Order: sequence, then C-alpha cells, then structure tokens
Amino acid sequence: MADEFDTQHPPFNLLTPEQQTKLKSSLDIAYFDKDELILAAGQPSEYVYIILKGAVAETDPTVKETDEEHQGLIGHYAQDDLFGAISIINGASRYNFNALEETISYLIPKAYFQALLEANQDFASFFHNSLAEKTKLLNTRRQQDMGMDASHFMLAQVDQSCMREALVLDNGTSIREATAAMRERRVDCLLVQRGSQYGMVTRTDLLNAVVLNQAPVETNIAEIAHYQLLTVPAGDFLFNALILMTRHQIQRVVVFDGPHLKGIVELTDVLSYFSSQSHVIGLQIERAETLEELGAAARGMDQLVSSLVSQGVKIRFAMDLLAALNGRIIGKVFSHILPAHLHNKVCLLVMGSEGRGEQVLKTDQDNALILADDLEWPLEERQKVLDQFTQTLVDFGYPLCDGKIMVSNPEWVMTESEWTKRLGEWTASVNGRGLMNLAIFVDGHPVAGDKSMFTRTRDWLFQHLSGKDVFYSYFGRPMLNFGTPLTIFGGIKDSSHGIDIKKGGIFPIVHGARLMALEQRIKATNTFTRLEALAEKGALEKEFAANLAEALALFSFLRLKQQLKVLAGQSEAESSNHVLVQELNKLDRDLLREALHLVKEFKSRMSYRYHLER
Amino acid sequence: MVLKTIIKATDRWTHRDGEFGFMFEPYTGEECVSLDCEMTSLDPQSAELVSIGAVKVRGSKVITSDRLDIKLQRPESLTGDSIKIHRIRGIDLHGGEVLGDALQDLLYFIGNRPILGYYINFDIAVLNRHIRPRFGFSLPNKVIELSHLYQHKIQQTNPELQPDLHFEKIAGKLGVPIMGRHTAVGDAITTGLMYVRLLQGKIPS
Repeated sequence: MADEFDTQHPPFNLLTPEQQTKLKSSLDIAYFDKDELILAAGQPSEYVYIILKGAVAETDPTVKETDEEHQGLIGHYAQDDLFGAISIINGASRYNFNALEETISYLIPKAYFQALLEANQDFASFFHNSLAEKTKLLNTRRQQDMGMDASHFMLAQVDQSCMREALVLDNGTSIREATAAMRERRVDCLLVQRGSQYGMVTRTDLLNAVVLNQAPVETNIAEIAHYQLLTVPAGDFLFNALILMTRHQIQRVVVFDGPHLKGIVELTDVLSYFSSQSHVIGLQIERAETLEELGAAARGMDQLVSSLVSQGVKIRFAMDLLAALNGRIIGKVFSHILPAHLHNKVCLLVMGSEGRGEQVLKTDQDNALILADDLEWPLEERQKVLDQFTQTLVDFGYPLCDGKIMVSNPEWVMTESEWTKRLGEWTASVNGRGLMNLAIFVDGHPVAGDKSMFTRTRDWLFQHLSGKDVFYSYFGRPMLNFGTPLTIFGGIKDSSHGIDIKKGGIFPIVHGARLMALEQRIKATNTFTRLEALAEKGALEKEFAANLAEALALFSFLRLKQQLKVLAGQSEAESSNHVLVQELNKLDRDLLREALHLVKEFKSRMSYRYHLER
Repeated sequence: MVLKTIIKATDRWTHRDGEFGFMFEPYTGEECVSLDCEMTSLDPQSAELVSIGAVKVRGSKVITSDRLDIKLQRPESLTGDSIKIHRIRGIDLHGGEVLGDALQDLLYFIGNRPILGYYINFDIAVLNRHIRPRFGFSLPNKVIELSHLYQHKIQQTNPELQPDLHFEKIAGKLGVPIMGRHTAVGDAITTGLMYVRLLQGKIPS
C-alpha cells in the first residue's frame, strides 16, 4: 500500500513525524506508458514525482535531435528518484520529462508540497541548496543517526595510554634539585618516597613553600609533600578517576597496581581522552623516548581513525589531524635514526597522499631525501641508515611502497643539485614514468631536516615550468585515463564488484588540482587547500571549487569506510577502493552520483583548458 | 441473471427517492473504485468481513490520497486458519468501526461509480449479505472484473493462450509492484494499478 512509501530517505527524513504521516496519506500513484510525456517544458508541474518503478529521462527540447541519440539529455531518474520539485519552485518546467519505460510514480500534490516547503526550513533548503550545502545538512543528520560512540569512552580503562610516568625522587632531595628534575622531565608534579609511603609535591606546593613560607631552596621536599594521596587501581575505569577528581577538586590521582606505583593520571589527560583520543596519541608521540614507545603510538592510530569516523568527524579534519600525527611520528623516527650532525644537512620529504596530508589509514610510505650539496656521507653507511629508517616505518605499520619510492631506494636520495637536474629531466620527458614521479614530487612536503632545501628545489621547479603549456598538456593526460563510472543516462554505472572510487573519483580531482596548483605556483599540497587557493586566485569558480572539495570528501569518506571494513576483515583486501553501490543507502548513492557528475564536468573543463585530448 | 435484473429493478424502484438514491443514478464520470475485502473464509455464505479497502482510480492515476481503509471488529469466525492467510490477528481489529457505519461509509465512498476488483463478485456477494438486511438493497453498481479484463486483453493478441490468473502472476506480467499484499487497501491499490496499466499500456504477451 502507499504506506510503503519510504520516508527514511532524504529529503523526506527531514520532515517531522506528523508531516511524514500526512505526506503518506496525501500521495497518489500514477502510471505512465513507455515514451509518455510526463511533464512538458514550459508547463507548470502539478505534482512532485517520486518514481516507484521505472525510469524517466529529462531532455532539453531546444536541442535538435541529431544522429546522436542522447543529445539534449539532461538527467536520468530511476527508482526512488524525485523530479518536478524544481518546476514547482520555479513555476514551470525547464525541460521535458519522458518515461523511458513503463513507469509508476508517487505524486505529491503541488499544494501540499508548497505547504511543506513553507513549514519546514530544512526540507525547503534541500531543494534550494548546492551539493556542498546538501552534504553539510546530511552530515549533521548522519551524525545524529549514528550517535556518538560514547561506550568506547565510558569503558576506557586506566592504562598506559592515559597515564603519565611518575617522577619519583628520594627523601632528602632539595627543592632546587626537585625543580630542576621537574623542568627536565617537563612535568608539574612529583612523588617523593619516604619509607614505604609516597607523598606528592606539585608546582604550587613548591611555589607556596618558597615564596609564602620563605623556605630555603635546600629544604627537603619530603617535608612539604602531601601524604594523603587519592589513588585508583590500575585497570579501573577512567571514568572513576574522573569522578574522584571532580569530587575532591583535585587534578591528579596516583595509580597503584597492588602495592606498586604505576603512574599518575592527570585531569587534562582524562578530559582530552574523553573528548578525543587524538590528544593521547599526540602525547604519546611527544613523550616517546624510544622507538618502541613511538611504535606503540603509531600502531594506535588505526583505532583512532575508526573512532573518529564513528564519531562523525568530518573527513577533512580527520585527514589534517592524522597528517599532523604522521608527520610528527616520521620526524621523530628521523631524528632517532639519523646521526645528529646530519640533521641540518638533509631534508626529509613525505610525498604522494602522505605529502598531501590525505592519507587517513597507513596505505604506503612515499618519502625521499634531499642532501646538501656539500654533505659528505659515505654511500655504504648512508644506505644502512636509510634502510633502517624504512624498516622502522614498516614496523610501525606503514607498508612498503610498491613503486619503491622510499629513502631506501637510492634513486630517491639525491643532493640538491642532482634533484633539480632530475626534475628537469622529468619535466622534459613525455613518458608516463617521469611524469608520475614528478606528480609524486609535486605533492612533497618537508617533515624534518633543513626545509629550505626543499623550498629552493620546489621554487626552481615552478620557475622552470612557467610558460610550458605543452608540459601541462602531457602532465594532465592521466586525468582522462579512467572513465567516470556513469552510464549514458547519467546514473551510476553499477557492477557486481562495485565501482573503483579511487580511479573514478579521487584521482581526477587530486590530479586536476595538482596540475592547476603547479601552474598557479600554489605551494600548498593538500587538495582541499589547493582547491581553495585556486578559487582565491580565480582559476576556478568559488562554488565549483567548493563542490569539488565536497565531492572529494565524500569519495574519501566512502573509501575510508571500505578500508576500515578491509581492516576489520569484513571485506577482501583487493576491494579496498571498490564501493558497492547497492550497499549504499539512498542518501550516499544520490550524493555519489552528483559527485561523479562533478568529476565528469571537471574532467571536461580540464580537457578543454589544457588540451588533454589528442 | 434474470433474477438479478429483476432484483436490481425493484431496488431502484424502492430506493430512487431514498437516502441512497444516488447509488442508482447512471454513472457518467471517468472514475471507478477499486475494492478489496479481507474475509475470514472463502465461502460467501459464511465469510465474515475483516477489513475493507477501497481507492478511487481516475484516468491513469490511482488516487491513493482518497481511499477508504476500514478495519472491523473481530467477528466470531476469525480463526487460526484465516489468521494464517491474512496475518490479521484479533488484536489488529480492536478499535475498528461497527459494521453498519462502515458499510454506510463505503456506500458513500463508492456512490454510483463502477466497482473494480479481483474476483470481485465474491466480495460483493459478502458485502450484499450485510448491506441488504441493513439498507434494503444490494450494490447496484457496474462491476469490472480485473481477471476477465486481463484475460480478454491477452486473448485479443493470442486467442489460444490461457493466461495464469493468479493475482501475483498478473501483477508480475504487467510489471506492477505489489503494494502491501493481504491488506485490503494494499490489494485495492495494486488492483487499481493493474487496471490502469491494462487500459493504458501495451499488452505483454
């Protein structure tokens, strides 16, 4: 019965329950024969149509029928799709709507639809908004739907991830020594052991003792310590620690495992844990003193990604956050492994998706090294160190790069002048390999060492390329290598193994933005930032750039969901870039289709602008 | 047949000026009413009404916004068997309308429009069993039997063919989605769609 009309799909889920019920009871159903004209151009529409079964084509009647059958085709509507709404809002239909096959459609009467537009702001804006705004609206919905993954936080336990190691000093240590130790360890409280008892001394205690009580700096800290410590057992719920702190208005509790001291939990750590795990990982990275500790932090990142996704964090922010964390990890590995005297003589780059800051899960490591021209570093020793660097990253969970674009490959370790020479060769080459390497380098981002070497190299490249239009034409060609998975009617081309979202959606946008950024000498490497910068410079229209960014965010989100599935073992490893359209809900499917249309338009604009087709 | 005509003529004579006189006017509009009843058994003499669904059909549209969906009080004869057929439990019928009021609503809803249905004579026979004692006449409306119409259309193109007249089979052949099977109003809508499809579309072979 008509009650089967599903109001869970957008935009109808934006209606209140009463409006939904009313809507269901005011629907009619109409049947249209094959080729029947449902709505003629220039005619006012009496209904909003939602297709129950069948297919409808939207055509521009002003385009003359030519040999090409689908000339003038604007859109294609299939099951669950909606049309006629714009015609009601604008007063008349711009295009013809024909039934491509026998079609059964729900009808929302014009008057009731207009009443809904009046009554419901969200619903109305759905029809007025561009893709970017639509996604925003739906994202907030999605967040509400999923709910916060609170249980994860509620069940967190007091363990290494949120606990700081306590600074324990002996009875008899002076205030001066204690202050020095605290400064060195960058902590603001310490424990002092007196017999079997522990006492706590905070910075405030020290300050009070010295300033207010005029105690000499040689005073034994055991005399100013508090001995009534509030403790929690290790493995207790973190929430309990928080309650304890709130109740006693204190900022630290001491963690004991039986009689053994384990560490200190601070209020800031607990709060940041409850707000997001990211801070904890950041903390772990900063505090890590050995490679093992760093490795533990690095391996915790996939978990962080899952929880960010389930919290509905915008993928762009997740990307930024993870890029920052990844950068810090790699930088730390660098300073651990490379001898200290070399730190200012080399520059470590991350490239590819990592360089763009768009790698959410660790997919591979793309990195390179620029050496100072005057550096003397024996080849054998260099290779050993760099092999170790690559291997360490592998241990941390960054898989090897299939293309061997890593510092362990001598081809990607060159002096500054060798780099410029090599880049020159690459730009002159018309073969795929050189241009691909160049594309990878263009996304490079320095993470450690002397960053000015990279800046100089990149500026040389910008300079070198200015005015070389032929180069851009070659450089941009791969954009057209993979077809956009859309049917001739404009629907999503569906297949049983899903569509390759990396080739069909992500790559064209990323590469197009890269190409234009290179031409416009935009230094940013992140695609979103590049798109913004391009809009700023007027190379792209603002709205188009914003829509592209939104499309890219959608593709990345869908891909990430699939990758997480692979990670959790719910899907085949080969299918990490494949999105199964039939598994998406109507909301994502609609957005995906619109996003793919944008990609198609972007491609054709780029093709025209840079003469990509020959 | 003769008897039916006589009864109809007598009914008209008696009720022409009564409350339900409009039912006996000749119909000139382009609508019909698709009707379906859920019943407790398949014997027209003893079957009780469980629910009545009706929806108007106008041109190529099924006017689902103008429909009648009546659930009746639990009759004595609602047994386990019919629960299995229709998945209507006694509990679903609570709060239903009293049969007399329901039938009156139905008469006003149908008016003098033709009645469309699938094996509709059975439904009408049961309805008449309840209408005649209360209102003094039987439904005088013209009747459109979907399965006959379907068979007729099929045999126009291929007279040899004996089509499968199962409800689901017809719907499948015509490419009409089944809307809430085994609810009266759902079946009425599906029947309406099939009718519209038969009148408008090319006939599948």
